Amino acid sequence: MNTMSDDSKNIFSNYGIYDLGDDLELSLPNISIKFQRISDNAFSYFRENSEGKIVEKIIPVKSNDLKIELAPIRPLNHPARRTNHVFLKFDKEIYLSKNSAASIFIHCPIEIGIFLIHDSNYDSLDWITCNPLNSRFGLYGSPDTGTLCKYAQVSLATGYDDSNSYVEGVMQIVVENTLSSGQIISQVIFPITDNALYYQDSKTILDGIKITMKKRAAVNIADVKPTPLEIDWTMSPTWEDKVSSTPLEMNLE
Amino acid sequence: MVLEILQNLSEMQIVGELTVLTLLIGGIIMAGGVIIAKIAKLLFHKYYAPSLPQDTAKNISKLIYFGILIISFLGFTSSQGIDLSGIMVAGGIFAVVIGFATQSVISNLISGVFLIVEKPAKHGDTIELPDMGITGTLLDIGTFSSKVRRFDGTVTRIPNEKFFTSNIRSLTISTVRRADVTVGISYESDIDHAILVMKNEILQTMPFVLQIPEPEFRIEELGDSSVNIHVFVWHPRDDWSQAQPILLTTIKRALDKSGIEIPFPQRVIWTGKD
Repeated sequence: MNTMSDDSKNIFSNYGIYDLGDDLELSLPNISIKFQRISDNAFSYFRENSEGKIVEKIIPVKSNDLKIELAPIRPLNHPARRTNHVFLKFDKEIYLSKNSAASIFIHCPIEIGIFLIHDSNYDSLDWITCNPLNSRFGLYGSPDTGTLCKYAQVSLATGYDDSNSYVEGVMQIVVENTLSSGQIISQVIFPITDNALYYQDSKTILDGIKITMKKRAAVNIADVKPTPLEIDWTMSPTWEDKVSSTPLEMNLE
Repeated sequence: MVLEILQNLSEMQIVGELTVLTLLIGGIIMAGGVIIAKIAKLLFHKYYAPSLPQDTAKNISKLIYFGILIISFLGFTSSQGIDLSGIMVAGGIFAVVIGFATQSVISNLISGVFLIVEKPAKHGDTIELPDMGITGTLLDIGTFSSKVRRFDGTVTRIPNEKFFTSNIRSLTISTVRRADVTVGISYESDIDHAILVMKNEILQTMPFVLQIPEPEFRIEELGDSSVNIHVFVWHPRDDWSQAQPILLTTIKRALDKSGIEIPFPQRVIWTGKD
């Protein structure tokens, strides 16, 4: 079972599986969560965020053996699920000279899911974001044919240990420039539904992506593909509908 | 006994070679055709339609239903010994007469076919017909008419001919839509500061407003009492209600917080010197 994290001076609940027992309180930045047994066959769920928004649910149960899992999920659900794509704008541009490759780490926004576990089945009970201001939409392309994305400005990370607990995970991006001229990278757009998330205590890592800048016909494009991680951290359950998205090709300016 | 009854029926002539028995067989063919058409339509709706777009499913369903009915009708006519070639010749003349008499009906029917082929809008789209002053959700493109559910919950039936020849503005075809309002600030206010204040408030408190493209501010006019600023924001196409109706509220809140005046209409009256 999980305990509390003393990350960033505050005491917040770690990701992981919790036994409900009779009562359970979880604490996340700006969010408090309470489970209470209200009868032999039912629990109540209460969540309040910093803006005073309250969500309450009743959870009927068949047996006493009810667990929940607190885990990071993809940043696609707040304020509403509208897309599978994310648009990450780097706070600093990256220059890559011709015929070269580089590997960088970035902070990628995450949301947090609360899952009910019963008979080894996972059901999504609720999802939250600890940083609603970084959960916005952006458009890549023109209004009629463009791609609606979840938009966030992100900073570079030093490595997998540099995750901002509960708010941002770390993602590795491998960039390869096969073009005959140097290129500047300031943003990346890709379907994040192909990227799994992994957690340990309060930290999160996401599957990486590989960006290959190449020439197709007379056009320079950036081909973005996911690169699965092999890591001993716990893989997060995902409750979003698994929709296979075509890997995106960005036009290079 | 059954054979005797059939024998009797076959001897009961109605007109020419048409007997009660052939008519009965024809009736059975038509009834069977209707039943088969309904079953085929039902099976299609149950097993195949869910995986198809709604309007495509409806069109294929109609095609199956009426296709089987036409085949049944042809079976019926051949069972009655009716020679269709004679009807075809007479039908040509008859069609001209009927065509004139039912011009609008035929026109609606053909417009319906064109609407299905061209697909200017599909089932579930939010559309506006500016010529008719109708805005709502397209429910159905039928054989002769289309139905639009307006935002007040009422349903308007539009003859297909009118629908086809109207300007149709689709509000859901693009990925995103733009909302806009005009707000006036006093001449004493710093325009750049007011724009910055409005922009920050919009981006921070309206989660459905797109960050890219950013909200846009244009000085619309130097009005009688105020500097009028036109504000444009983009939002996901299905979230109009989270942008347009609350945009002015958000802007007013931002201006109030910063002490920027939204002036009332003013008149400066000069009176003659004593």
